[in-house]
Amino acid sequence: MSFNLRDAGATLWANSNKWQRYLIAGVIIVGAFALPLLEGTFLNTPRTPFVSVLFYPIGVYVLMALGLNVVVGKSGLLDLGYVAFYAVGAYTAGILSMHTKLNTWEILPVGIALAMLSGFVLGAAVLRLRGDYLAIVTLGFGEIIRITALNSSAVGGANGISNIPNPPTTFGFAFDLESDRNYYWVVLILIIITILIIRGLSARRPGRAWESIRQDEDVAELMGVNTYKYKLWAFVFGASVGGAAGVLFASKAMFIAPNIFNYNISILILAFVVFGGMGNIWGVVFGAVLLSYIPERIRFISEARMLIFGLVLIIMMNLRPDGLLPRKKREKIGIAGGEIK
Amino acid sequence: MDFSVLTDQFASLTFDGIALGFIYVLIALGYTMVYGVLRLINFANSEVFMLGSFATILVATKLFNHTIESDPLTGFKLVYTMTAMLVGAMIVSGVASVVIEIVAYRRLRSRTSNRLTSLISAIGVSIVLAEAVRMATSSAPMGSPRLLDKTTLATVWGADIRVDTLLVIVFAIILLIVLDLFVNKSRLGMGIRAVSMDYDTSRLMGINLNKIISTTFLIGGLGTGAASFFYITVYEMTRFSIGFELGLAAFTAAVLGGIGNIRGAFAGGIALGLIEMYASAVLGTQWRSITAFVILILVLLFKPNGIFGESLQQARV
Amino acid sequence: MNKKIKASAAIVAALALSLGAFAANTASAATTVKIAYQGPLTGPEAQTGTDSIRGVKLAIKIYNATNPAVKVEIFEGDDQGDDAQGGTVGAGIAADDAVIGVLTAYSGPTIAALPSYKAKGIAIVSPSATRASLTDPTSKDYGNPVFHRIVSNDDLQGPALARVATNGVKDPTVFVVDDQSSYSVGLTKAVKLALGTAFQAGDSAAKGAVSDFSATIAKIKKEKANVVIYTGYYADGAKFLKQLRDKGYKGVYAAGDGVLNSQFPKLAGKKQSEGARLTAPTVPLEVASPKITAMFKKDFKADPGVYTTEAFDATNIFLQGIKAGKTTRADMLAYLNSASFSYKNTAGITIKFQESGDLSGSGLMNQFVVKGGTIKLNGKA
Repeated sequence: MSFNLRDAGATLWANSNKWQRYLIAGVIIVGAFALPLLEGTFLNTPRTPFVSVLFYPIGVYVLMALGLNVVVGKSGLLDLGYVAFYAVGAYTAGILSMHTKLNTWEILPVGIALAMLSGFVLGAAVLRLRGDYLAIVTLGFGEIIRITALNSSAVGGANGISNIPNPPTTFGFAFDLESDRNYYWVVLILIIITILIIRGLSARRPGRAWESIRQDEDVAELMGVNTYKYKLWAFVFGASVGGAAGVLFASKAMFIAPNIFNYNISILILAFVVFGGMGNIWGVVFGAVLLSYIPERIRFISEARMLIFGLVLIIMMNLRPDGLLPRKKREKIGIAGGEIK
Repeated sequence: MDFSVLTDQFASLTFDGIALGFIYVLIALGYTMVYGVLRLINFANSEVFMLGSFATILVATKLFNHTIESDPLTGFKLVYTMTAMLVGAMIVSGVASVVIEIVAYRRLRSRTSNRLTSLISAIGVSIVLAEAVRMATSSAPMGSPRLLDKTTLATVWGADIRVDTLLVIVFAIILLIVLDLFVNKSRLGMGIRAVSMDYDTSRLMGINLNKIISTTFLIGGLGTGAASFFYITVYEMTRFSIGFELGLAAFTAAVLGGIGNIRGAFAGGIALGLIEMYASAVLGTQWRSITAFVILILVLLFKPNGIFGESLQQARV
Repeated sequence: MNKKIKASAAIVAALALSLGAFAANTASAATTVKIAYQGPLTGPEAQTGTDSIRGVKLAIKIYNATNPAVKVEIFEGDDQGDDAQGGTVGAGIAADDAVIGVLTAYSGPTIAALPSYKAKGIAIVSPSATRASLTDPTSKDYGNPVFHRIVSNDDLQGPALARVATNGVKDPTVFVVDDQSSYSVGLTKAVKLALGTAFQAGDSAAKGAVSDFSATIAKIKKEKANVVIYTGYYADGAKFLKQLRDKGYKGVYAAGDGVLNSQFPKLAGKKQSEGARLTAPTVPLEVASPKITAMFKKDFKADPGVYTTEAFDATNIFLQGIKAGKTTRADMLAYLNSASFSYKNTAGITIKFQESGDLSGSGLMNQFVVKGGTIKLNGKA
């Protein structure tokens, strides 16, 4: 077959020496930090400020897509309730801001820890289930979190929690209303850290375990991989990233309510992962950026915005069924209905 | 926790729960049959239901020129109007289901082994359909004229047996029996069972996969269409967003009963209807979904394939 | 494969660009100002937004037709009723310098957007945000000085609804059902407070998520309630009432302004809706001005909806200011906050704003009763 972008990128990286790699990475990172400069161009989003959009939805959703990618893309666990961890992170920030004087940076580890805990609890209960059963149960969990928040006046019920404080000014960077850029840079830092962690894990035993689980769980189990333990790892890691995203989001939005954390977000993040090319970090990042940018960019078509988004999903899935940046051929081993190429 | 409502109104709650359950059963068929054959969660089935519900009302209002304020009908006129509404709903849902398969799933079947791609495509279809209807209706609900007067036929142990809920139960049972006969006795049904048992071998044995799969989607769509007709008969209102509410419940029911399995859809649907009714009465309506999910998780912990589920290797329709 | 990526990317980009070319994001000249509407224009709550924004558009159209010196455009900010989007959309509205006033729909997204509006000093006149905390000086959500609303807050409507519902009922045993929306929860709290011991029990049925109210009705029967108050919106309210009556409930049914909609008696059924009591701080457009209603129906080929009249009035408040020469944000805000400000609404009532942003004066609560399939004004509440 002809050109495979992902393979080309991988070959380029493999063939570069250490300094060339640093250069490439450096260019990409600097480019990402410099994105707010594109504000005045045709890329500008009508109705909503461009740099604000870079933080939310784009930055936050990219972060979540990376987390879900480990669960769904790398390990093949169909999680349809990822929004639950996002909600746990955000509500942790909300509740702590109501009752304590902790600032965002102090709340962040707590939010991550609680999200990991909920990931652990959910995973321990349901990870013995196969494929699509896991899907409905995780979906149910996402709804359970949302509805519980809605029903509980202790966390504000339908009204949610308001006046969550912004992060304090750190190292001279302010985080008030005018500082969209600083929020964006913080989420960008988190994204980079997450990518580094994922790459680190992927190269080592967890990554190989995840890959074997994704390809054929029974065989992996037979070959001595402790599938349960690694599935739980994937789940907990994904949850931690979701929780971090939630804390960050709450600190900027200052106001959260149950209706934000609905099933559509889980589906959205899943769409990013599938659209980008499961398991592939760059595909997922690119897919998430594209798919969260488009609805904001086309706000001037206000009425048909979501309709067009749905069409984009269908068209893109049919045009690029393996995602924007699909796996290398030798990994494409089919299960039901596929072929061994 | 208020158990007094449960004891005070038990018969009423049970009867209503069963009636609601049968609607879930019929929608669950759309999910369970497709899953049995393709191992695919047919997310777009919820919008197939929504379309059927609009079709039901539009047949009454556009074809027969009734308005929402029309008086109930009786006798022959009632029968043929309602039959036309049922047929209209089933046709619309059936056709929609088949078209969705062709548009969203068929190409992907051969082009990728990634099942999630079909899932996302299905979700895209769901969004498109729901949004299209939302724009067409300006997000407003659409009410149905009451053509079947809701007379109470009898009161058994305090439960009012109404003609509309009884109709749902009776017809649903008939439909289920017909479907069961079809799947077990007909040639096409045998093909469906074969494909759901072993996809690749069926292909090797010369079964026309496209035909089987289209038939499966058609049957699922017809069942969902019938469900939408019964839904409108009882609740007399729909809007563009009911797909999600009922779709999720029906899918939960399908998994609860054991997905890929008609008996499972039946058991799961009735169970879910009763669970929702009792949970609403005892804990409050705001806790019914959570109760359903928690029970689902508990059941799956002990029976990982659902109540009537068989292990995945032998799952049959 | 590479070709395909390029092709698809090119198509998407071309589409976005060409459509974007038509998106004029700035006001054309200094003689045009914008009024923004921030509300649910798509998504599950879209009906509220659609009904309201039509009121806004009609008011602007009538104004522009008088060929004024300063023309007015509308800025449509879709937040889907979602609090998160409310924040970003609010920031976007505040960033557009041509916008000198905004109508916000739901309380949640309003609160989320408040920081942006406060920072840029843009006046808000909300036709539908009813949460009490927005005008409560002790609350963190206090919207002063930018927030105003021409819809009555829950603290006013709650007692009125309680009164109207129990009027003429001996030994009232009241059952209250809410739909877990923030409007409904706020109203329920106020109603329960006003009911005191008459309140017996309640249930919550999430908006748009419940088709079957049998369990709620079973509870009502068990409690032997003779008054049922519904504090949500008309679609579920109608569905609920219909099932309630069909199951043999003979008592009083009362609801708040969320249910005030011409579709309500139709959806609930003529027989079932007979005698239903409603309260609202407004008059339906059909009653207030048949002439404007006719214009509305002609333009939009639809009936006015839940908050259409309020949105129409809110827009006219801004337009009144523009006519008086207030064409900057600061001027408009000062105008609305000045002690001499007053406005005569479509129903002919003169309203003023308190410092907190709420309406001042009494006699603003009406009660209605459904007779023969239509909602009829039944005096003050």
